[in-house]
Amino acid sequence: MNPTEDQIYVIIFSTLFLGGLMSTFVVAMVFIHRQRQAQNRQKMDQIKSEHEKTLLNIENEIQQDTLSQVGRELHDNIGQLLSLAKLYLNSAKPEKQAEGKEYLNQIIQEVRGLSKSLNLDWVESIRLEEFIGQQLEKIKSTEHCDTKLEAIESFGSFPKDQKLVLIRVIQECLNNTLKHANPNLIEIKLLKEKGIRKIQIIDDGKGFDTREASNGSGMFNLKKRMETIGGKFSLSSEIGKGTRIELLLPD
Amino acid sequence: MDSRFFQAFVDWYLISIDILFVLGFIYFFKLPKDKRANSFYWLPFLILTFTFIYENFGAYTNYNFEFKARVNAFLGNTEFPNYNLWLYNIANKQIKTILYLFLIKTWLEPPKKRIINWMIIGFLIITQFLQFSGIEPIYLNQPIIFAIGANMVLVASGLYFMGMMTNEKYLATNPLRLLSFWMMTFMLFTYSLTYIASVSLTYLYTNYPTLVISLFQIDLAMGILNKLILIMAIASPKFPNLFEEEPIFDTNESLDIQSSL
Repeated sequence: MNPTEDQIYVIIFSTLFLGGLMSTFVVAMVFIHRQRQAQNRQKMDQIKSEHEKTLLNIENEIQQDTLSQVGRELHDNIGQLLSLAKLYLNSAKPEKQAEGKEYLNQIIQEVRGLSKSLNLDWVESIRLEEFIGQQLEKIKSTEHCDTKLEAIESFGSFPKDQKLVLIRVIQECLNNTLKHANPNLIEIKLLKEKGIRKIQIIDDGKGFDTREASNGSGMFNLKKRMETIGGKFSLSSEIGKGTRIELLLPD
Repeated sequence: MDSRFFQAFVDWYLISIDILFVLGFIYFFKLPKDKRANSFYWLPFLILTFTFIYENFGAYTNYNFEFKARVNAFLGNTEFPNYNLWLYNIANKQIKTILYLFLIKTWLEPPKKRIINWMIIGFLIITQFLQFSGIEPIYLNQPIIFAIGANMVLVASGLYFMGMMTNEKYLATNPLRLLSFWMMTFMLFTYSLTYIASVSLTYLYTNYPTLVISLFQIDLAMGILNKLILIMAIASPKFPNLFEEEPIFDTNESLDIQSSL
């Protein structure tokens, strides 16, 4: 074999080697893709089951809250009204009996209202702005602090799952504010910026050191819950300067 | 028509390219308007049209020897007036490599698209420098330019396969039913099988002209197969059961923001 023949063989074998290498590469890629696909499917199933678990927890929490509220209403409001109705209906005076009947009508209305709140159908029918408005009104009526709601008209609606999570997260944020911040004003803003919907919960309370707060599980839960609906939770606070919470969701 | 015309234009490769172009043309103009505006369909059609034009132009230069000699003389090549390597270099080694890089870019995620952009810019600068500095004259074989282009296509293929392993959209698909996968695979084979032969073309042509012709047949056969896959890509909406829809990566702002969330 002369040197030029050698070179020819080198060229031919190199070409065949490169071709073989590419075939192996492509086949390997297909196999790895299959493996990763299976892993990814497993991960997606896990995320899905976590999402469902979170939703179930939230539904349970809301139902627990509702039941406590119904219990309080039965005891403080309906119980009182029934006692009054009984008292007036037992009276011999016709005007008192008429008043007793009025009370009965009021009780019927109250019971109807309570029965509606026992299942979660109200979540579907209520708009988020409405719910926030009701919550702020409740806070205001306790005269604990002043409240303010700012919402743009085009804020849009949410599917039930997302709304449930948002309702629970907002409730939790407001509870925390009332419990720890001692604010004079709680302000909620519903905005839209660059295709992202933002819910800002701002208070002028005593604020806190966010580095210390991150150790707690409450904040972690809120973050995790927002992530299950594809959103983001962010918080900024400084001692003496209040707290600002932002809930972000893609439009 | 004289025998030179038949010699230049009646050739299995050129006839195949012409037929493939006609097929591509029919399928492309049968597509709905919105699909025609999508780079997944118009880029393969552009490559097909471009190949059709330059291959026929190449055949014309072989038919009209005077014209070819004049172009060679204009480029400074009076030694080999019967060469039409200048056309092969510009069209096949340079423009087609850039078009293939653009095609691969359409299948990549936005961060990887930026790498391809830089690769194209780099390729353009290097090739022009090598050409105009006289290191690789336009009218002779250009092994360095070919090697750079082939390496860039191989790196781009690597980026595509990396995306296929990591991107959720690709993980949700069956690659064997993705036309981008087959296009990529054939491109990979074309460049790897012709790599050594193209780089050592001058040496082989001087010592073994018959072997060069045989090796060149591989390039032609792979070229035909590549064009066939391009036609399949253009015609794919007609066969929804055969192929899966490509995960298209949009680069508009709102999507970027959503992914950042």
